[in-house]
Amino acid sequence: MSHAAALDPHHDATTSTGIPNKKLFMWAFLASDCMFFGALISTHLIYRLHPPPGSPSPRQIFSIELTSFSTFILLMSSLLMALAVGAIQKGQLRATRQYLLGTILFGLIFLGCQVYEFTHFVHEKGLTLSNSIFGSTFYTLTGTHGCHVAIGVLWLILMYVRSFKPAGADEGRPWLARAFFQVLAFAVTTVAGMALVLGFIHALQEHEPLANFVPHNLPAVGAALVGLIALFRLGHTKAVVEFGPANAIDVESMGLYWHFVDIVWIVIFTAVYLLEYL
Amino acid sequence: MDASQTLAPHAAAAGHAQSKYHTFVQLAMALAAITGVEIVLVYLPFARWLIISLLVILSAVKFVGVIAYFMHLRWDRAFCTILFLIGLFLALGTVGALLALFSSEASRPVVSETTVLSYSAIV
Amino acid sequence: MDTTAQASFRAKTEPAQKRAWFFTRPTAKTGLVSWLTTVDHKRIGLLYGFSALFFFLVGGVEALLIRIQLAVPNNTFLQHQTYNELFTMHATTMIFLAVMPLSAAFFNYIMPLQIGARDVAFPRLNGFAFWVFLAGAIILNVGWFIKSSAPDSGWFGYAPLTSNAYSNQFKGDISTDLWVMGLQILGVSSVIGSLNFIVTIINLRAPGMTMMRLPVFTWMTLFTAFLIILSFPAITIALVELMMDRNFGTAFFEASNGGLPILWQHLFWIFGHPEVYILILPAMGIISEILPTFARKPLFGYPLVVFSGASIGFLGFGVWSHHMFTTGMGNAATAAFSLMTMAIAVPTGVKIFNWIGTLWGGHLQMRTPMMFALGFLWMFMMGGFSGIMHAAAPADAQQQDSYFVVAHFHYVLIGGSVFALLAGIHYWFPLIFGRKVSEFWGKLSFWIVFVGFNTTFFPMHFLGLNGMPRRTAVYDGNMGWNTPNFISTIGAFILGLGIAIYFVVMIRTYFKGEKAGRDPWDARTLEWGLPNPPPEYNFAVTPTVHARDAFWHEKHPDHDSELGNAAHGHDDAHGIHMPSQSWFPLLTATGLLIGGLFMANHHYVGAIGGGLLMFLGAYLWALEGPGGYHIHPQGDTTKADPHTTAKH
Repeated sequence: MSHAAALDPHHDATTSTGIPNKKLFMWAFLASDCMFFGALISTHLIYRLHPPPGSPSPRQIFSIELTSFSTFILLMSSLLMALAVGAIQKGQLRATRQYLLGTILFGLIFLGCQVYEFTHFVHEKGLTLSNSIFGSTFYTLTGTHGCHVAIGVLWLILMYVRSFKPAGADEGRPWLARAFFQVLAFAVTTVAGMALVLGFIHALQEHEPLANFVPHNLPAVGAALVGLIALFRLGHTKAVVEFGPANAIDVESMGLYWHFVDIVWIVIFTAVYLLEYL
Repeated sequence: MDASQTLAPHAAAAGHAQSKYHTFVQLAMALAAITGVEIVLVYLPFARWLIISLLVILSAVKFVGVIAYFMHLRWDRAFCTILFLIGLFLALGTVGALLALFSSEASRPVVSETTVLSYSAIV
Repeated sequence: MDTTAQASFRAKTEPAQKRAWFFTRPTAKTGLVSWLTTVDHKRIGLLYGFSALFFFLVGGVEALLIRIQLAVPNNTFLQHQTYNELFTMHATTMIFLAVMPLSAAFFNYIMPLQIGARDVAFPRLNGFAFWVFLAGAIILNVGWFIKSSAPDSGWFGYAPLTSNAYSNQFKGDISTDLWVMGLQILGVSSVIGSLNFIVTIINLRAPGMTMMRLPVFTWMTLFTAFLIILSFPAITIALVELMMDRNFGTAFFEASNGGLPILWQHLFWIFGHPEVYILILPAMGIISEILPTFARKPLFGYPLVVFSGASIGFLGFGVWSHHMFTTGMGNAATAAFSLMTMAIAVPTGVKIFNWIGTLWGGHLQMRTPMMFALGFLWMFMMGGFSGIMHAAAPADAQQQDSYFVVAHFHYVLIGGSVFALLAGIHYWFPLIFGRKVSEFWGKLSFWIVFVGFNTTFFPMHFLGLNGMPRRTAVYDGNMGWNTPNFISTIGAFILGLGIAIYFVVMIRTYFKGEKAGRDPWDARTLEWGLPNPPPEYNFAVTPTVHARDAFWHEKHPDHDSELGNAAHGHDDAHGIHMPSQSWFPLLTATGLLIGGLFMANHHYVGAIGGGLLMFLGAYLWALEGPGGYHIHPQGDTTKADPHTTAKH
């Protein structure tokens, strides 16, 4: 195996077509996922053709500002993902990690907007999974998409953590423990952070006195702070890691998945939200 | 790996990578702009069919932008594109067929008068 | 195998001490552990095969019970509830747990050998697909052992019969939930396996094996894999929506809340129709290998056969509502689907003509696989004729839901798929197990199966046209249905006898059969050049392919082309790279099984627990890395000397 040759991320000479196996696998999977979302979107649109009498009116329920914001966020996350792939192909480790973190952050913002949207629709607009067919199809479709985003965020976090594997570690215990704690830190920070942000927005809307916010939410604030500090410490390491252009195919495959989730949202935004305003 | 895959493609790859960075950022700006246009479009007083057609076209442009550039199909082997398009066209065909089936007069759900009355009672 | 894998594998001796214990790769080559952790496509093929044959017997027993109940009018042999469970499970078992996995057995074992590959593209994922299949099979059948009993809403589970209101016999009846979960998990297995096969066929072909030199069986594997990945999402969504209705009170198929039960039928058949092509394409592939071998001629019109397979696959997505002609879709829709259904008969007919063309002028050798293959040709054609009769929507208005349909699909499924699979077992038995099946007993089993099959299902055409409906546990004695039903039941037992003989013959041959020399049929494709059974690494030297029917050309090279592959295969000085075994496919699938069982029981905390186990298994699997080790083949006995191949 010649090491002087630059690894060409787009050509794998060991395969019959030159397409790396993982890439081909992911594209075939995405073709399948097109049918998956096609069936879900069909269900939603079919039930919008002849809404039963007394159906809720989406125009009264949707907040186009919020959804536009989250759409914009997801589009930008795609940019960050593409830049992450480009960075790892060039072997730029720090840039890769930063772009991955950016993608994770934007993905979490999108999810936060969805959580907010769902709770808002349920509590303030009275739209639930079971009290109308519109609720059933809307929550199932956007919820499934949200699950895809969440799985993507999880994958991104695991890929980010993977980028810290020390060279020569060979799955020894110290590396595994470190990885475990890093993932745990992400989980804690995510849950606590999202609860805090959503709680804060809720407090703003309810015109509650903001000075009370932190004292009332001390456990979440504490958890979030601890998590952030842990992430910061674990993220700053000078150790030589085993993560470089040879791993670019994995980041690229993940990128394909992430972009696909984005283009599904492009379709959902138009077909589920925008069309209701006509 | 043979020796021919050393310096020349590497240098080309570097230049290629620089222009890709700019392409990605420009595409992201375009995507944001098109989304903005779409949002404004629904409030404009045009005919329904026109707005829907424009929305579909704009969404398609965003769609193609993402798959061709972010997902790299433009620079990859054609087979990846063919593979994805098979799934996409089948999905579009199925969605279209289902909508045509359920739009037909024969598929209109039956609603009795009493149902209408009881629904209005809920609302 | 891509460069990432090559970059990270190295001799695993020295750093082994630093690895956490659960990353030690299992290395057992024999015994239970070797089977539980296998990533070898041949072993996985055998696992699928044995499971499929077991469930084939289960499904057969379910069928015999049905036939006993229907032998005489007003029978009281079975309770009606049990009858409903039996016809549901007979169909579900035969389709998902017998025919599909038996096809998968051949995809796994034979396809990589036919393209000259060492294994599939993702060996651990291959093992995972099998364990997930087993999880789905368990969930589907667990109902037999609990109070809920087995699923009973038909293999196509029409809404609203599957809703809580109609399908729950008592509070806590989870039979339908088990059906939903079992099918969902089987779908995961099928899709994952198919993605693997697609990448393997596209990317792992031996040098010189262009797409148009692929054996037809490999082409059909590819098309079937495409059908699976593109059709299963529809039933996945349908099952998700049904699960949401049953568990979370959504209204997808709940008419009282704005739902449309007919949507279930559409989504199900968008999957269901490609599914029947998934069941028949592999069979067509097997036949396309057997006929040329025993007619001593190349396949007639190879490009047309391949292109027809692709057409059938593609058009198969456009005909689904021919299962719904009587649901009142409106004239335009009904006419459109009727036309499409007639159109799809064309590529099927093309194939049949090509097979006949293969036989025409050939030197036919009437060995057992050939008998089953010829039986396929005729029986599948008959099933096709009744299918075309269904395609005419006005005629179908009378045939729908009658025994005419039952006759049709059993002719294509047994006369078609099962005959071809039984042929394939006979055909490849010498390669896989190194033993020859006795011609006498093989042919005897064929004839008894053939007679029994026709006796069972031919009368059903008349029963259907005379108005006997499907899925009814009893019929009255004055309908004129008594004699055909009785004959059909006799036929079923003859068929059962034939299958029993077939199984006994196979088992006996496995243990005591006459050893087979290499290439006993003087066949045409690459797998026959290997020792029988093939070694773990398949090919000692990756063959270089110069023409279609690659092995035949190795044996009979043109004067111009170079001789054999020894001159071209380049020896890898490091030895042959082999994938390491792993526990994690099994562990991850176990998480899915546990999660699925809890989910079917509406026990969401447990379901999440199963999900976490699945996640843990998958994460450790990723961290474990591809691994791999090298072996050196013993001697150079792996290439068949063309001059000593047994000739008939």
